[in-house]
Amino acid sequence: MNHTLILSWVTFVYFASFVLYLFRLITGKEFWGRAASFLAWAGLIAQTIALILRWKNSYDLGMGHVPLANLYESMIFFAWTIILIYLIIEWRTKSRIIGVFVVPIAFLAMAYASIAPDISNRIEPLIPALQSNWLTSHVVTCFMGYAAFTIAFGCGLIYLLKNKEKGGVEKPAGFSAKLPDFTTLDTLIYQSITLGFVFLTIGIMTGSVWAHYAWGSYWSWDPKETWSLITWLVYAILLHSRYVRGWRGKRMAILAIIGFGCVLFTYLGVNYLPGLHSYLKA
Amino acid sequence: MPIEKHALWSFFSSVKLTITLLVLVVLLFITGTFIPSPDVVQTFANHLSPGAGKVFLFFCLSDLYHSSLFYILLALLSLNLIICSINRFPALWRQYNAPHFPEPDGIFDNLPQGRIITVDKEIGKIKPIVKSSLKKYYGHIGEIEEKRGHFFYAQRGRFSLFGVYIIHLSVLIMIAGAIIGSVFGLEADINIKEGESVNVANMTKGNRLYNLDFSIRCDKFTVEFYKDGTPKTYRSDLSFIKNGQVRRQATLLVNHPLTFEGFRFYQSTYGIAPEIKAIITYTNAGENGGEMTLAAGDTFFLPQSRARGFVLRVEENIMQIGPAIKLRIVSQKKDVQFWVFQHLDQIVAVNPDLLTKMPMFNPGLFQPFVFSLNRLEQTYFTGLHLVCDPGIPLVALGGLLMVAGLIIVFFIQYQRLWVFIKQEDSKISIRMAGRSNRNNQQLKKKIDYLCKRINEEIKA
Repeated sequence: MNHTLILSWVTFVYFASFVLYLFRLITGKEFWGRAASFLAWAGLIAQTIALILRWKNSYDLGMGHVPLANLYESMIFFAWTIILIYLIIEWRTKSRIIGVFVVPIAFLAMAYASIAPDISNRIEPLIPALQSNWLTSHVVTCFMGYAAFTIAFGCGLIYLLKNKEKGGVEKPAGFSAKLPDFTTLDTLIYQSITLGFVFLTIGIMTGSVWAHYAWGSYWSWDPKETWSLITWLVYAILLHSRYVRGWRGKRMAILAIIGFGCVLFTYLGVNYLPGLHSYLKA
Repeated sequence: MPIEKHALWSFFSSVKLTITLLVLVVLLFITGTFIPSPDVVQTFANHLSPGAGKVFLFFCLSDLYHSSLFYILLALLSLNLIICSINRFPALWRQYNAPHFPEPDGIFDNLPQGRIITVDKEIGKIKPIVKSSLKKYYGHIGEIEEKRGHFFYAQRGRFSLFGVYIIHLSVLIMIAGAIIGSVFGLEADINIKEGESVNVANMTKGNRLYNLDFSIRCDKFTVEFYKDGTPKTYRSDLSFIKNGQVRRQATLLVNHPLTFEGFRFYQSTYGIAPEIKAIITYTNAGENGGEMTLAAGDTFFLPQSRARGFVLRVEENIMQIGPAIKLRIVSQKKDVQFWVFQHLDQIVAVNPDLLTKMPMFNPGLFQPFVFSLNRLEQTYFTGLHLVCDPGIPLVALGGLLMVAGLIIVFFIQYQRLWVFIKQEDSKISIRMAGRSNRNNQQLKKKIDYLCKRINEEIKA
């Protein structure tokens, strides 16, 4: 079976999963939640198979590289990591609520990758600068970080939504009673950010090592490098204000959202600035 | 201590300053990425007012990442980091060496149900069970007998208290490495044509030349393309020559740098040299004279007639009739100039009396030699980037330390646990409570688990 066909089905499956998570939130019936999780797992497995097929396909075409080499492939992989990390958290915390906010981001990434007119889904050959073993470790760690920050962003949104409705007080009834309590959200935001921070740090470092071998300098102030450092610093500021100044709750949520904005700019916005990371320009 | 010094010290030991400085650095970076190019900014500033132009020039604001403004921020940040670390160290040291007993005040008050185990066995049997259960998960176990009862203490991950110090030290080490690199390092570019050797490099900074004490020869340059025309690989076969001897021969590829005499060489680019090479053969009264590869300006020698040849011109397409070269041959008797066309046969087929009308187009004008042009070849040049950066070991060390520090801070926690075993009338109560430096959730789970285990083992 063709991997692009599987991927377009997966896009649809993630959308259906999101709708079911929404059903669960509105009706409060766990049946919908279980169905949503099932779809998300099915989508993840199908997507994994599609990625492996694409990988194999690139060998058949005589290029032979991991499917992480252009904007299309990175978008698909981004969606994959978001769902993976989300499902792990769902399994660990036994809470399905974040799905409503996180699964649609994965869906949007998949949809954008296949619909956007300037993104080609063709398997393209690797230019010499990308022919390196560091490609996989750099891209995988960066996107794990991005995905963890996405989860933090989703939790931050829920926090602000709940906060707006109730002004920071827990109420036993109403829509927001179906959302997780403030402490859980705060812990989730913090934990996903620490995870993302470690991955982003390793991602920047593997990138530096690679740049050291490919370009002759571990740091070139290329806009993508600079923006990854900006993102890193924003999350560092967040962690310091939490540890030392004791910031919690709403402030963390707002910083998690600002941080995610930086992640998106590092990933996509930077492509409109001139620089060395031009492989992602579609 | 004078009061001013004290104020300055406390100013630099505040985390508010750290956060402010980090925010300023972030804003500087954001501005930096949106600045189109250094020249444009400087022109714009000069346009604004001559004063602004001077300010921009003084702080090098047109290149923010190398501006004095950025360096000042970095220096303040480093100072802040060092002073914060020194300031907090005594408290941390006390925390590290905190005595295990007595336990923190009120730690055994108001414990939830699961944390108190009541049994009616002998205290002598219970103690080893508790101790062995604790030993499974905690490295350090302490014990004390008091009037109130028997106490156990367990801890693990105490060194994680220093994780933050490791991270901050790693930042300082990386900054130091970067400074060493920018002060003592060198970056330059060299373009070498195939077959030539070069011992001078263009420094990336400041448009100066750098003389190497060895030379690099490009023996061969190869480039391969994919079907769609994007380059697949390009490689240079290089020889490093010192004092007239080839010291090293190696192939340089993108992503695979070479090292020679403390310099690292990178395959950074390639291109086509402006000159074209001509592959020429000649016959001497019917006998083959061999093949020569020549460019415009080259000379060659014809031993058979003691004549010297000059390549005057090499043309890719002259008068729309294809490639040609113009030669001049000088011997003791003659001095002739003529053209050699690659496609002479076709030209003669169209104009049969060309060679008699135009002797200049006769490749056999210098008798008895007849020249022919086999083909023209483009000459590639390979673009090498060379770097010497003595700061790299420090930066790498800093990077490793940072990852280690982050893992210690985020994923290892300092857990302390107290167990209080008390004889209450005929029964014995076991109470368990703990403290951790962060993430109490994990500690709670651990205590619940331990209580359950100990309870089960005592019953068994």
